[in-house]
Amino acid sequence: MSLLGIFSIAQTGLVAQKVAIEVTSENIANVNTPGYSRQRTIMETAPTTTANGFPMGTGVRVAQVQRSYDDMLQRLLKNENSSYGEASVEQTAMIRIEQLFNDLTSSGLGKSIQDYFNAWEDLSVNSQGSAERQAVLSTGGLLADNFNRLNTYLTDLKTQADQSLQGLTSDVNDKLKTIATLNVQIQQTENMNGNANELRDQRDLLVRDLARKVGIEYREEDDKTLTLTLASGETLVSANLYGEFSLQDNGGKYDIHLKQAGSAAGSPVDLSGAKGEIAGTLQVRDTIVDSYLSRLDELAYNLANQVNSLHTAGYGTDGSTGNNFFTAPAGMAGYSGLIKVAVTDPAAIAAADTDPTLPAGGTGNNLNALKLAALKTAQVPSSYGDITLTSFYNTLVGGVGVGVQDAERSVSLSESVLKQLDNLRESQSGVSLDEELVNLIKYQKAFEGSAKLITTATEMLDTVLGLVR
Amino acid sequence: MRVTEGTMANSSLANLQRVRERIEQLYQEVSTGVRVSRPGDDPLSAQQILDLNGLLEDGKQFAKNISTGTTYLSAMESALSGMGDALVRVKELALGAANGTMGAEQRESVRGEVLQLKEQLITLGNSQINGRYVFSGFRNDVPPFDANGVYSGGDGDLRIPIDRTNTISVNYAGGKLLNGTGGGTDIIGTLDTLITALENDDIAGIQGTLSDLDDSAGQFLSARTDIGARMNRLETATGFIDDTKLYLQKVISSKQDVDFIQAVSDMTRQQTAFEAALAATSKISKISLLDYL
Repeated sequence: MSLLGIFSIAQTGLVAQKVAIEVTSENIANVNTPGYSRQRTIMETAPTTTANGFPMGTGVRVAQVQRSYDDMLQRLLKNENSSYGEASVEQTAMIRIEQLFNDLTSSGLGKSIQDYFNAWEDLSVNSQGSAERQAVLSTGGLLADNFNRLNTYLTDLKTQADQSLQGLTSDVNDKLKTIATLNVQIQQTENMNGNANELRDQRDLLVRDLARKVGIEYREEDDKTLTLTLASGETLVSANLYGEFSLQDNGGKYDIHLKQAGSAAGSPVDLSGAKGEIAGTLQVRDTIVDSYLSRLDELAYNLANQVNSLHTAGYGTDGSTGNNFFTAPAGMAGYSGLIKVAVTDPAAIAAADTDPTLPAGGTGNNLNALKLAALKTAQVPSSYGDITLTSFYNTLVGGVGVGVQDAERSVSLSESVLKQLDNLRESQSGVSLDEELVNLIKYQKAFEGSAKLITTATEMLDTVLGLVR
Repeated sequence: MRVTEGTMANSSLANLQRVRERIEQLYQEVSTGVRVSRPGDDPLSAQQILDLNGLLEDGKQFAKNISTGTTYLSAMESALSGMGDALVRVKELALGAANGTMGAEQRESVRGEVLQLKEQLITLGNSQINGRYVFSGFRNDVPPFDANGVYSGGDGDLRIPIDRTNTISVNYAGGKLLNGTGGGTDIIGTLDTLITALENDDIAGIQGTLSDLDDSAGQFLSARTDIGARMNRLETATGFIDDTKLYLQKVISSKQDVDFIQAVSDMTRQQTAFEAALAATSKISKISLLDYL
């Protein structure tokens, strides 16, 4: 062991502490960077040599700059992001649907059903009254308008969901491409024994973001690249290859096609069970809205059929009979968008059950109007069982309420789980300024110590050289 | 657990957010006075509130029907009362004229008065309310009696709904009342017989009408009793609707309205919690090792 050996040990100390301070400064600078994982400088003793029969160290060296990363947390976060993505899209749609069916604060369809039958009741009290007849026509028109309005808004909701698929798929495509690019960069960097920590952070963040859009599975290959697949097995990213989603118009709505990584042609893929925002959007478009729309259709259909069957049996003041009050439904599906009042002449409103123009009749005959007014409280067979028309609607509103509550519950549950996981990740991988500051002082002092070694060694060398003179 | 600046920021933000959310919700409740303002707040209650509101609306409609029915029945009531008075006068006159001491001239003037009274009965039989003839069955847009008292109205029973299951008739067939259609006394016919007898000084004929006149009085009386009974039913129904309304409003209020004392005290508590959270956040986030280096 020579004096010069002290210089080289001191030098390794200076270099190692400087690297540690650099890593610390990187940590401090990225304290607020999303997805950043703190890094630690792992130091180890340099190989020992034997001098004068004793093992002697040769200083310190930086073994690696390690990233604090927990793969289990990453997987949990990925899964929860997918659940959250789906739930939040569904919640947004449910809140909109709830507004449409909120009869608690505004007069909606329920009120217009009531008003319509009340108008018949008014007509039954004064069956020749032109004001009463006009009221039956106009409340009937309003009722049909309300059905049409709800139908339009619900259909719009489906269209909007369909269109939002464009943005979602192009966003996903973008991310797949970036992940493939990062795969290559990480592979190249690490193959040259470089440090790709920041690139890995970016890739992990992208995976989590991607999982919010569509549910995915991943595994890291031996060559450091990440392979992404759908839960159903289709390959999205493999090394430098990436898949691509596309939308094909299929009778007014989009089908999602996937060109898998490395394959030339796309084929249809079912993402409705895949979780994530895309699955939520598909649920909204294909299931959720339809479940309310079909009830609305059923209500319009039942109401029109009940009213029409009584109305066609009755007689207007002009002796007309066999008239439908509402346009006759061809079928249940979509009828809420088609229902209109078919009667135009107030005199044709059938309040009488016999021809009033016959000597035995009389325009005061209100028997049919009474029957129609009684429809308000009549039990009509429906998918909710035998139930009055207004109760059917109220049950529908209650059903919407339950839907909203469910959606809100899953979102808030998902949110709190995400928050906890985020906190865990932050606790595991986040930068603590206190810790970094302490490290900074620690490394700075060590740096000063190494520098002092050089001074001391210089003095020692001077002393030795002085001996020669 | 390792605590970093990030965890602290996240959790204090989450806590503040949570308290703010709760305060906002309570504020909504207190400012609107309503606990359930959208179906998602409480689906079951929302559905019940809508059902109950429907019943309340039904009640309003029934009350409206009843008030119309009452005007019909009152019109008939007063017409019947006028008819009764006229008939009493006819009976008086007939009794006087049945006395052999009355001269032919006097009988002639009695005849004149009976003619007038008959006309009065017919006019009352053509009573209308809002342009509808109440004694005309379903043919209530034309006068049921012509000048001679011949009935051309119908016998339709004009019924109006007074609650969810019952209807009540608000007219009375004029033919049954004045012409004895369906097995009663033909009052107009009796008056015609009387008038002819008076014209012919036919004392026996005049006496012959007396018992029919008694029956006529009975016929009016039973009609009035019938209508009186119907008015009673309407009154009972109104009372029932009023009671139901009060009860329904109470139930709806208990389901929908905010318990103000509870809500305001909750809000105060949340506000205190919020202030405490704010104070704690500002204290903790100020602490840094940087200040001590």
